[in-house]
Amino acid sequence: MNAQFGNYRESDWFGPLLITIGAIIIVGWMKPSFLSSFNIQILLLAISVNALIAFSQMMIIAIGQMNLSVGAIGGMAAIAFAGMMEVWHIHWTLAAFLALCIGLVAGITNGILVAWTGISAFVITLATLSVYKGINLGITEAQPFYNIPDTVKSLGNDTFFGPLPWMILPTIVVAFGLWYLLRRLPLGRFILAVGGNSHAAELSGISVTRTVIAAHAISGLLAALAGVMLVGRLQLGQPSIGDDWLILSFAAPVIGGAVLTGGKVSVASTLLGVVIVVIINQVLVLFNIDPYLVQVVLGALILWAVGMNRWREVRTGKNEQRVSA
Amino acid sequence: MNNSLEATTNEVDASSYGEKEKLGSRLSMRIFLTNEFGLLALIVVFVIIFTILQPGFISKYSLFALGRTAAVNIIIGFSMMVVIITGGLNLAVGSIGVCAAMFSGWLMQSIGVPWPIALLGGLAMGAGLGALDGIVIVRSGLHSFIITLASMSIFFGIMIFLTHAGSYREIAPEVIAPGRMRLFGYVSPLLLITFVVAGLLSILFRYTATGRQMLAAGASPETAELSGVRVNRMTILCHALSGVLAGIAGLMLVSRTGAAIPSMAGQLGQDWLLPAFLGPVLGGTLLTGGRASVLGTLLGALLVTTLTTGLLLLQIGAFWLQTYLGLLLLVAVLMDRVRRSYLARKKLV
Repeated sequence: MNAQFGNYRESDWFGPLLITIGAIIIVGWMKPSFLSSFNIQILLLAISVNALIAFSQMMIIAIGQMNLSVGAIGGMAAIAFAGMMEVWHIHWTLAAFLALCIGLVAGITNGILVAWTGISAFVITLATLSVYKGINLGITEAQPFYNIPDTVKSLGNDTFFGPLPWMILPTIVVAFGLWYLLRRLPLGRFILAVGGNSHAAELSGISVTRTVIAAHAISGLLAALAGVMLVGRLQLGQPSIGDDWLILSFAAPVIGGAVLTGGKVSVASTLLGVVIVVIINQVLVLFNIDPYLVQVVLGALILWAVGMNRWREVRTGKNEQRVSA
Repeated sequence: MNNSLEATTNEVDASSYGEKEKLGSRLSMRIFLTNEFGLLALIVVFVIIFTILQPGFISKYSLFALGRTAAVNIIIGFSMMVVIITGGLNLAVGSIGVCAAMFSGWLMQSIGVPWPIALLGGLAMGAGLGALDGIVIVRSGLHSFIITLASMSIFFGIMIFLTHAGSYREIAPEVIAPGRMRLFGYVSPLLLITFVVAGLLSILFRYTATGRQMLAAGASPETAELSGVRVNRMTILCHALSGVLAGIAGLMLVSRTGAAIPSMAGQLGQDWLLPAFLGPVLGGTLLTGGRASVLGTLLGALLVTTLTTGLLLLQIGAFWLQTYLGLLLLVAVLMDRVRRSYLARKKLV
């Protein structure tokens, strides 16, 4: 029993889970309105979108790279979704499907450029970030699309059971899908193997090129899904969607213990990382703390999380040395 | 031509003078194949194209505006370049630049200190924030990407919190003057400052022990450490230098706009990221560290500014501008890759 508890304590999600539960109890005790049904609905809405943004980045962190264009892809998909409904008057399901396809293509483009040229993902996604954001601004000329169908608006904000919003459903599906992918499917294992050591993965017969492209494709798709859902949530297709996703997308996976050099990510911990970030944002609002401090807190959280991960790494390294000695 | 010759020697390669004589005819070939020559050629080509399409492009005012914008972009490029040398990157350049500018504005407006001290204070703020990044990176042993990602958020957030997103508009006239002044009708004093900075950086990396040690630390940290270079100290120094340069860029913007505005580099200073990387990457600075081309970064930033100004003047840029710049970065890195493999095949490098 004790050993089992020790295992839990060592696992990635245990720390974030304790923090989450602790935060909920403390904040709920100080401000009972925090646990009101309406507030939980607001929290869940924020978690649904933010989790997809975090997962989008997590898939790229898994292969040991980074994707600066997550926000740009999300923004492009969002305005494509809203624009197609307003200008072409097509049904929202078709528009959503096409917007997701755009995200997929954008992700695959990233993947192909990174995998085929061997240039660092940082530079490639910085360039494509600018390209995608430019397309967004070129199409919208920085003006939002306002004509969003009522169905989309209600799906973006209404609940289907108690405080559970409709928006949580795609996120739950994605979370389980990714967990299954990374745990059980060959592609997921390939992704983690490439992230762990791409040379060794190549020698074991894994096509690194194909794996990298697949990871970027998934990342693009998830970013686009987040963008589409945000249109429903905000009830308008704003060109600035995605501008502030960069820090957020890294914060949650890192808080969840993801190793930036790749090969080690966790869906559950990333989700808990998102919950922590969302709760902190809420707390700042509930206690009337200057909203500008959100940025400071997010940055400090990232530093704290990477510091903790690093410390744990060093400690386990020492333990291993002691064992081998 | 003279420029490109200098460029070849500027590259911090092991090519000694004796070797060059042996190469003889190959040398002229090498000049044409240097990054700097290519950039210069591209700038000339684009200037000619823009002038044909829109003769106003080479009007005195247009050239003045181009030079003034280029001055800032070049410094932003340098700010990133000195960190790339260490093999890292600095996402916080924009954030640090704005913090330095705001601090300077605060010193002038709220404290009322004389403007030279306020400017120095701004630069000191830049150096301090940069050094802080450097210290955290060295102490934690983590990659500069994640540290500067966090610090860009922290610096910017604290600045916005302290200023309540307000601007400082009571800037000393002496500070604003260089941003408006036109020497000989088309040269901005800001551009001259940039050239002085470029000269100092060239001297630093070519003739001073500190500069050489910075390059050595970036090229191969282990070897450098064994040769007696204090790698950690060099990394911190590079980040502090980057902070100072970001501060200079921020102060130049203050001089140009006549106010210190928190949003002058966009949300979290992200608007500076693209120009910051375009200059060094176009200029052939290796992202893995250890090599820097001051002239290349300067020409790279100049090319970007020329393109931006030209496209805006032709009125085909506007909202699509960012797409063009992104494509330019893509084409540049791909071309660089092709050029490198060509040179390697011909054994010219």
